Amino acid sequence: MGTVMALFFVVVVAPLVGLVLNGADRVVTARLQGRVGPPLLQPLYDLVKLWRKEPLVVNRVQIGYVYLHLAFMVMTLVLLALGGDMVLALFAHAFSALSLVIGASSVRSPFSRIGAQRKIMQMLAYEPVFILLVVGIYLRTGSFMASAVGRLDAPLIVSLPLVFLAYLVALEIKLEKSPFDVATSHHAHQELVKGVTLEYAGPYLALIEVAHFYETFLLLGIVAAFFVRQIWLGVGVALVVYAGAIVVDNVCARLRTTWMVRCLWTVPVMLAVCNIIWLYVRRTQGG
Amino acid sequence: MEALIGSQGLTKMTRNELAVAVLVVLPLVGGALAWLAPWRWLRSAVVWLTAGLSAAAGVYAVTLLPFSVTLGSWHEVVAVVCELMLVGLVAYFAWDERGWLIVGLCAVQVGVLIFEWLEGAGQIPVIKDAVFCLDGLAGALVVIINVIGGLILVYATGYMKVHSCHGGGRGAREGRFFLVLTGFLGLMNGLVLANHLGWLSVFWEGTTLCSFLLIRHEGTPEARGNARRALLINVFGGVVMSLAGVVAQRGGAESLEGVLGSRLTVVFVLLCIAALAKSAQFPLQSWLLGAMVAPTPVSALLHSATMVKAGAYLVLRLAPAFEGSAVMDVIALIGGFSFAVAAALAVSQSNAKRVLAYSTISNLGLIVACAGIGTPLAYAAALMIVCFHAASKGLLFLCVGAIEQEIGSRDIEDMGSLLHTMPLTAGVTIAGMLTMLVPPFGMLMSKLMAIEAAIEAPLVVLLVIAGSALTVFFWAKWIGRVQTVSYHARYRLERMPRSMMGVLVVLCAMVLGGGLGSLAIYRQVIEPMALGAFPHAAEKAVAALRAAGQLHSWPILVFPLLAVIAWLVTVWRFNPGYVRLPYLAGENRDETELSYKFTSVKDEPVVAWATSLYFRRTLNEERITPWANLLAWLLVLSLLGVLGGR
Repeated sequence: MGTVMALFFVVVVAPLVGLVLNGADRVVTARLQGRVGPPLLQPLYDLVKLWRKEPLVVNRVQIGYVYLHLAFMVMTLVLLALGGDMVLALFAHAFSALSLVIGASSVRSPFSRIGAQRKIMQMLAYEPVFILLVVGIYLRTGSFMASAVGRLDAPLIVSLPLVFLAYLVALEIKLEKSPFDVATSHHAHQELVKGVTLEYAGPYLALIEVAHFYETFLLLGIVAAFFVRQIWLGVGVALVVYAGAIVVDNVCARLRTTWMVRCLWTVPVMLAVCNIIWLYVRRTQGG
Repeated sequence: MEALIGSQGLTKMTRNELAVAVLVVLPLVGGALAWLAPWRWLRSAVVWLTAGLSAAAGVYAVTLLPFSVTLGSWHEVVAVVCELMLVGLVAYFAWDERGWLIVGLCAVQVGVLIFEWLEGAGQIPVIKDAVFCLDGLAGALVVIINVIGGLILVYATGYMKVHSCHGGGRGAREGRFFLVLTGFLGLMNGLVLANHLGWLSVFWEGTTLCSFLLIRHEGTPEARGNARRALLINVFGGVVMSLAGVVAQRGGAESLEGVLGSRLTVVFVLLCIAALAKSAQFPLQSWLLGAMVAPTPVSALLHSATMVKAGAYLVLRLAPAFEGSAVMDVIALIGGFSFAVAAALAVSQSNAKRVLAYSTISNLGLIVACAGIGTPLAYAAALMIVCFHAASKGLLFLCVGAIEQEIGSRDIEDMGSLLHTMPLTAGVTIAGMLTMLVPPFGMLMSKLMAIEAAIEAPLVVLLVIAGSALTVFFWAKWIGRVQTVSYHARYRLERMPRSMMGVLVVLCAMVLGGGLGSLAIYRQVIEPMALGAFPHAAEKAVAALRAAGQLHSWPILVFPLLAVIAWLVTVWRFNPGYVRLPYLAGENRDETELSYKFTSVKDEPVVAWATSLYFRRTLNEERITPWANLLAWLLVLSLLGVLGGR
């Protein structure tokens, strides 16, 4: 029964939470820019509007990857909700992003292709942090199963503080926020137009939006999981982190792709590696 | 009653011997017949027949598993004579190619062999073991060699027909080509079946010779130079292997089983160095890149699916006995290093065959790394990669061969619009590449297991992670390029010899089916094999092995399936009125129906074109390779150092 509830939660409730969070994002961003901004449920209205539009495409190949993008995103959440293997969930999540990349590079629009290349660069930048997170959790729990996190006596944040910091930076990339929104963004950029999602329209764009809602929930859920056992504290921290991400988005300029990779691979990844070494040392000393 | 059992035992004995004999001799005979055949249709028929029979024999042999064949002491004489003849042949070809260093190595090898012979006559007590044996590991390779190898042979008959029309190779050359390619199957079967070190060395040398002759096939200066280099490196491996034979004999062992049983670490290290040469691991990788000048079926059969696996197979076979030793740690590092560096260099390549070559080196590195980690889970991961990589990579090479014959280029950037010009091949290529990196398929599941197995070795796990990330990069670029296509209402199947097309379809179906069933294969076949290889594994290691088989398999099958169904439905109900031209950097010019021109500055028409990222400056092959080789040599030296400080 618990499993069914968990599945229902991640498949049905999670996108709604993500939708509200994205609505809040737009309101907060508007206030920061001195505008009134749209209503909280604007993402929902957008979704309905997009769904009714004509499904314009460039070719038939690109459509398949939208479905794969969404399917693998939901699969990631389902795997984690079932308490399944975290490396598998990580791969599913990576392929979800990758299917956007492959879909975007199957058309001859240079904007779409450049966006796709940048998306891969983003993946190269943030994936190490995600993998180190999984390694860190393994070293703490001795298992790759997500369910083992729930059985910990002390929250993860105590043993993985540096990985947590690195994760916050990776989160900024995954949410397509400045200074890392190089591949696509909610605001059309001059040099990239709409990047990865440029050649998707109507219902296909709507599906990408839905996947984004799932992803927002997933990413903030991982923040909350650092505080597991004190789940309300975790939710609180996740909301603060999200608000922080929005503020950073509004006060930062967008930067170059190579700068992003260099930035990630120096400070955050090294921080995470330090944290991992620390855990290895503690393990070998503790026997 | 006793007599009955006795006779049954006898028939069983002869049946096993017969199986080994057929597996080794049948392809050799088939190759010789193909060579003698005066007409192309007859040659093709002989090759087809040989491929079919050896595939059947391979599958049949696996049903007899496990078995071993012992022979009288006469076989040692035969082995030495065969080996001397092969070394003589190698020396002849090397002389012909002015490869004096190779001739020198051959002389050294003859010296080593004679020394071993004389010393053996001095009555060192040696434990007699089976000469050939077929266990699970060898069985897996026998199936790969004969089934996938057979398919590649069939493809080759069609390929060479087109190839000769393009002016590559003449009739007589083609006969020799099929002699070597078909006969190779027999030698490779012998290699994985051999337990006796002498016979192992014979077949090892034989496959080296095949590889050399096939690389040299085109006869161009480039082909000859690359063939010479391949011969040099592999003969070096052969000499090291002969040395291992001498040391093993002194240690009282004459077979792999004996080396395993008495844990002769020196022999193990020497065999590993030979294996690094065969499996093209850093620092001995350069020959495999050069080998890509050979016709594509050769690259598919020898240089990705089977021969290069021999090295990894040897390490894998010996690894369980040396579990947890310092030697194994270094081997895991060497493998991990090759995995990561080759993946990085693959990113910088736009030549499709070079990408595939680097990716092969990379995956072989992962197998070696897993063998070095030496837990049951790592062993299982290595086995999975051996099987799934052979199928997927063989398929991809065949696809590239077909594409090259059609478009006259093997550059990835030239492969746009392939879905329109050759829909079947392009579709199969995309499917093959997806099986290399998408979740339900076997390659990705084995990477997952490799990461989980490497977790106890921090350096190796970092290398594996870096390599995996880079692997994704170059495949994604390539998939994107192949499937770039405009909208076309109808697609017409390309013209291609039926044998090539049939093999592409059959192999693709096998790759997809096997890949989807990877977890079931893991539970049914791989897991018992890993347990069998590590009978005394710790409880925790066994638990890790079992946990990997108990992954939640329904979500990883259901969700992609839903996506694919949704896509098929959309395509089925597709309305061409929804097609638009892509958004270019300005207003589209509608000069033709499918125009990629846009109006640029001063109303000039400009064609929109964006190439992929290759990081040719950062990941410069010429700059990185010497440093990578230096590091790898240091690792190999530290292998010897670990041995000294034992």
